[in-house]
Amino acid sequence: MKKILVLMIIVLMVVPMVFAAGQAEKKTGYEIVVVPKDASNPWFVRMKVGVDEYAKETGLNVYQKGTAQIDATLQAQLIQDLIAQGVDALCVVPVDLESLEPVLSQARKAGIVVITHEGAGLENVDYDIEAFSNAGYGAFIMDNLAEAMNFEGVYTTMVASLTNGSHNEWADAGVARQKEAYPKMQLLAAEKRVESFDNGDVAYNGAKELFKKYPKLKGVMGTSSYDAPGVARAIEELGLIGKAFTSGTGMPLDNAALLESGVVQSLTLWDPALAGKAMIALAVKVLDGEKIEGVVDLGVDGYTNMKFKKGSKTVLEGEGWIVINAKNVYDFGF
Amino acid sequence: MKSTISNTLQKLSRRNEPYVFLVLMLLCVLIEIRSGQFFSSNNLVDIASAFAVPGLFAIGAFMVIISGGIDVSFPALASLSVYATTKFLLDVNYQGGVWLAILIALALGAILGAFNGLFIGYFRLPALIVTLGSSSVFKGIMQGALNSKQLTVIPIGMKNFGTSSLFIAKNPVSGLTSRMPVAILAFLIVLFLVYFLMRYTMFGRGLYGIGGSEISAHRAGFGVRNTKFIMYVMVGMIASLAGVMRVCMMQQAHPTNMLGMEMNIIAGVVLGGTAITGGRGTLLGCMLGTLLIVIVENSLILIGVPTSWKSVFTGLLIIIGTGVSAYQVSRMNRVRSVETVAKEVV
Repeated sequence: MKKILVLMIIVLMVVPMVFAAGQAEKKTGYEIVVVPKDASNPWFVRMKVGVDEYAKETGLNVYQKGTAQIDATLQAQLIQDLIAQGVDALCVVPVDLESLEPVLSQARKAGIVVITHEGAGLENVDYDIEAFSNAGYGAFIMDNLAEAMNFEGVYTTMVASLTNGSHNEWADAGVARQKEAYPKMQLLAAEKRVESFDNGDVAYNGAKELFKKYPKLKGVMGTSSYDAPGVARAIEELGLIGKAFTSGTGMPLDNAALLESGVVQSLTLWDPALAGKAMIALAVKVLDGEKIEGVVDLGVDGYTNMKFKKGSKTVLEGEGWIVINAKNVYDFGF
Repeated sequence: MKSTISNTLQKLSRRNEPYVFLVLMLLCVLIEIRSGQFFSSNNLVDIASAFAVPGLFAIGAFMVIISGGIDVSFPALASLSVYATTKFLLDVNYQGGVWLAILIALALGAILGAFNGLFIGYFRLPALIVTLGSSSVFKGIMQGALNSKQLTVIPIGMKNFGTSSLFIAKNPVSGLTSRMPVAILAFLIVLFLVYFLMRYTMFGRGLYGIGGSEISAHRAGFGVRNTKFIMYVMVGMIASLAGVMRVCMMQQAHPTNMLGMEMNIIAGVVLGGTAITGGRGTLLGCMLGTLLIVIVENSLILIGVPTSWKSVFTGLLIIIGTGVSAYQVSRMNRVRSVETVAKEVV
């Protein structure tokens, strides 16, 4: 009985190695693994689309492997397994920055190239990719709003709260962009910035008040993903469709109805599929021994003009924002 | 005749409702002066539509506080039952009217309310502790078992119910329109039922009795345990109904955005003169207090209070309002003790 058991264990251990060896031989070149926060979130399902596309285009051994649920510990374990497997590069979207540092440090000591996305605070990485700079994204939202407003009229900005870092940077950048590019537009002086507390209902009621109090108000620049949809509900109910406009961050499927009915012309976002591709492209560059300096071109839409964040040697920022409108709202799968 | 008028005035001055009403009126006039929009038809409709959900919650919170308890779990309870309902109806691809959603949510609300009632009524555990705990449990079930995330598509029946209106108010000057949601009817029906219940039934009087003194109520023959249990079941149902109305009106089920409402709701109830120790208060006062909070929350932009000062303003109003009602209570107690002393001397 014991012998059989031992035999079974040996077989179980050897078989995967044989198969793994077979797999390694089948594909040539680098083995690069993308580790998202989890495997089931539609956002990362979309990222996998990009990764698989990249694998097909280049023939590299590139694949995405995620844990079943969002969990910092599980993610760290998965990365340790991958280090033991001896992959060439890891592209990670970290769940928790702090708890990942030691594991990423292990990976780099093992000679693995480490690229992260949305992990600008990490130290133990070769490079971190951000889809965009806060200033660039804010200006992009403003461009969209301005277009909807026909480049004229009074507008104001909405953020989750006045203490939210990135939202306020986006709003500041949007206002700066308007001052520079759209002279016929004006920021509402009495209410330059209102809060929505990341709550669609607060955004909706706040927008109703704004439009009542300031009849000249023609546009609201949203930042949180609840802002523009909430404002849109108010615009629809108040009978202001075609007279008042909003734009801002928004998830495609959540807002399909609003976009199709024309209450909102366009929302802004970044595409996880492209972010996934960009991470791999950068990993390949590093593995090839290319020097990463100045302006970096990763050959992926929106990531062709990447620059280092000011004061940072690891964080690269792209222009990976996209517009979502009635035409492409169903293309993303989330 | 003169004496009756002054008597009534004196009686009124001891109650809280006239003060709240006065503050409310002053606030409305202030908003009107600052914006010129408050008394416009569409703004009044907006206020009413923003009031429906907090109003329902406040009715539930009022009943609990009258009975001498406190409930901080109702937003979580409402979120859980409406979220589960919406998810279930989406899964079975339900195409019918809103009534089924309301029925399922009411049933779930009754079960969840019974959970509170069991621990508070039968096991006599402190209401605050129990509801803090059950609030965590409800949130946990939602996030764990139901794996909650925002549902942006809701069943067609709920969607249609949320956008249907009793009438549409149009502001002749600005041309802005606002719809009076049908959901306001749910609020009015519950308001009427609970008013009747609290005023004209033994059950309602029992709640006041229990809130005043549990032992006296028990001696007087009220079934304290059963009364409390049934009340928590009812409150669970009212909260769930509020949840359904909220989801229909918002056109999406968000698992967490009702959480945190409990503080302002309870503040509104106390503001309206309901004694936090239980046993005293009127539904009218409770509604006035809640209305005050809702108007403040939804009119700061109209008044022109800068965003950064918003929470300061709301907080100050709560402190002043509850301070006034606390003062009223202590004054009344003083009057009472003087009266009893005088009687004993005679």
